[in-house]
Amino acid sequence: MAASDSDDVNLAYDDTADDDYFYLDDTDDDLHPPQASDSLDDDQLQGSDSHNDDDDDLLQSSDRHDDGDHDCDDNDDGDENALEEDDHDSPISGQNFSVLTEADIRHRIKDNIAEVSSILSISKNEASSLLLHYNWSVNNIFDSWFADEKAAREKAGLFLEPLIESPDHGSSFCVICFEDYPCDGTKSTSCGHRYCNDCWSSYIKTAIADGPQSLLLTCPHPSCRAAVGEDMVGLFASEKEKNKYSSYIVMSYIESKKMIKWCPGPGCENAIDFVAGSENLDVSCLCSHSFCWNCTQDAHRPVDCETVTKWMSKNSSESGNVNYILAFTKPCPKCKRPIEKNMGCSHMTCRAPCLYEFCWLCLGDWNNHGTCNRFKGNPEEEKREKAKQYVMKYTHYFERWATNQNSMKKGAADLQKVQTEQIEVLSRIQAQPLAQISFVTEAWKQIIECRRVLAWTYAYGFYLPEECEAKRNLFEYLQGQAESGLERLHDCAEKELLSYLKDKISVEGFIEFRKKLTLLTRVTRNYFDNLVAALQNGLSDVNSGSSSVSKKRKSNWAAAAVNAAPVLDTNINDNSATAPAPAAAASAMEPWACAYCSYENQSSATNCAMCGRGSWTCDVCTYANSRTSATCAMCTEAPEP
Amino acid sequence: MIDFARVQKELQECSREKDSSGIRVSPKSDSLARLTGIIPGPLGTPYEGGSFEIGFYFADGYPFEPPKMKFVTKVCQSGAICLDILKDQWSPALTLKTALLSVQALLSAPEPDDPQDAVVAQQYLREYQTFVGTARYWTESFAKASSLGVEEKVQRLVEMGFPDGLVRSTLEAVGGDENLALEKLLSS
Repeated sequence: MAASDSDDVNLAYDDTADDDYFYLDDTDDDLHPPQASDSLDDDQLQGSDSHNDDDDDLLQSSDRHDDGDHDCDDNDDGDENALEEDDHDSPISGQNFSVLTEADIRHRIKDNIAEVSSILSISKNEASSLLLHYNWSVNNIFDSWFADEKAAREKAGLFLEPLIESPDHGSSFCVICFEDYPCDGTKSTSCGHRYCNDCWSSYIKTAIADGPQSLLLTCPHPSCRAAVGEDMVGLFASEKEKNKYSSYIVMSYIESKKMIKWCPGPGCENAIDFVAGSENLDVSCLCSHSFCWNCTQDAHRPVDCETVTKWMSKNSSESGNVNYILAFTKPCPKCKRPIEKNMGCSHMTCRAPCLYEFCWLCLGDWNNHGTCNRFKGNPEEEKREKAKQYVMKYTHYFERWATNQNSMKKGAADLQKVQTEQIEVLSRIQAQPLAQISFVTEAWKQIIECRRVLAWTYAYGFYLPEECEAKRNLFEYLQGQAESGLERLHDCAEKELLSYLKDKISVEGFIEFRKKLTLLTRVTRNYFDNLVAALQNGLSDVNSGSSSVSKKRKSNWAAAAVNAAPVLDTNINDNSATAPAPAAAASAMEPWACAYCSYENQSSATNCAMCGRGSWTCDVCTYANSRTSATCAMCTEAPEP
Repeated sequence: MIDFARVQKELQECSREKDSSGIRVSPKSDSLARLTGIIPGPLGTPYEGGSFEIGFYFADGYPFEPPKMKFVTKVCQSGAICLDILKDQWSPALTLKTALLSVQALLSAPEPDDPQDAVVAQQYLREYQTFVGTARYWTESFAKASSLGVEEKVQRLVEMGFPDGLVRSTLEAVGGDENLALEKLLSS
């Protein structure tokens, strides 16, 4: 773990470390330039695997001594990853897992076999039979082997002595095809029952065609339990069958491990090794499919599995009420021509001659567009209107959820395109090395992740009780900020990039573009980190308001197992401690009114006692900062004097 | 691919041993893909004295895939055979003869816990005597070449003036024996 040694700003390896990154960034930005460290993500993912491989021997040797549970081996590997993860900041996609490609899995299998084989002094073939019969638990094998070797051998069908005398000379009768063969035309496994080569071949072929139960294939003799293992398959099966057999082995390995699951992504053959006890349940595969480890639904952090299940079942039961088409085609607010959304961001431009620019979601004019995330319901309406209101509310949230989901999918497709084609084109046209262009992929990765989070915050918003006004305000504020940040980023990555793909404009122009997109990526990430952190602690920063409801909400979150402790509070304090602002300190003696909720705060308050937001608004990114922060916590810009 | 050379050899072996085992296997037609096997009802069971015909049908891949087997002679079951060796426990080292012997063993010790026919299994478990009666009746009626067909017995007894339904139930209760049935009918 060389990396962690050198990292002196590394926080204690606690569970909330994930959420601390962002704040570390503020104070130690030079050490953690996010755009650079973030690009490590994927390398790290793959790199950590090879790292594990190197460590396997060490792990195994320690297992021999302390007799620890070998099944924890994977967890040990995972813990290392968890530590490693602290070395680079990836607040949204924290490495609570590692991705195993087929090659990695085969490597682990090979290691397991080699370990059993060397410790028990048996052949690799016998070791693999043992592993198959003992569900890949190396520990169980050692336990039963050293307790009773004979019983363990019998269970796996490995005999030391043949059960029947094998004729050393002359001919042998094959009881399958009823023919006599010279001895060298026949073969037996450890039991000594001999069959001709052709019959072995057909027997093994039939078994492999029948499915994975062929892994536990036994001698054809009706009452013989001798294992027919990999060596026999190697001798008698065709290449195609051998491949099939070895894919059964991989399957059996993965299915035997509780902490490893196949990636449910379409056509993906990777598996995800999850770190036991991780609080963040979202994992994402190299195939770019993200899912929740717990429920294997699409990743839904920061919303808990329960809410997701509720939301998904609501969507399916109300699909009759809510017209899906609503989310996908709309008439242009100006010329009324039907418009289908074909890009990810919500900034729409109608075709010529109309050219009207509007927000896809609220259909408002884009030029005056601020945020439209808030649901403007009218609670004063009469009772029968309430039902209508409810449907409208649901439609509002559903539409935003679905649109963001779609934008996420579109973003994933765009990223694919960026990675396979555009990066190279861009590198050629702008005459920049590929390394200088990685900011584009970073931006797209951020967009995808943010679209995903944003979609789920709409499910969260739907279930957030109306009564918790303070919470709702905070939530909608954070969501609105995050959303408009994301729209800016998405717009820039999607549209501005196009011109750079066509012509070389100027080196300065391109550098300007890189600076802009990188900043937008960083700012957007910070907004979303804030949003995620706030939702994960149940919006507990607003403690006034209806306490009973907030309690209930809190307990819900505790139950959701993604409770990330009161991170935001402590960090805001940390912030003020590490970055005291002389200018702000001077004016700290006067009472001040919150710019957002207009609550009159005491002079000592650094943040609004009502809504939790800070006292000054950043001109660059509009984030409301703590009174004592000298620079913006979001984009690190200093306030203008 | 069916290994017809092996089927041929199995037929030869069965015909060599048919006197000792009582089991006969022969081709149903010119093709070796369909065979007919005959097993004697096991002694000391309601099936004693009957001979039961079983049809073989080879799926592709025999002997590496199990043969399909079905009772042709009516037994007091549906005729389908529920036997593990005909499914996942099949081994290419088993033969038609061993399969027939397994069926014979099944007749002497039915497995009511894993039944092919739930009604019969219930009867076997709860009213053993009724089961024995039914089985014997069916054996008498269908599995004995020497005995007259059941319809003829019914017809004769009906001609004596007994109602058809009563004749059939009485015959079944006494296991198909015409004289016993007549006695019973007269005494009732």
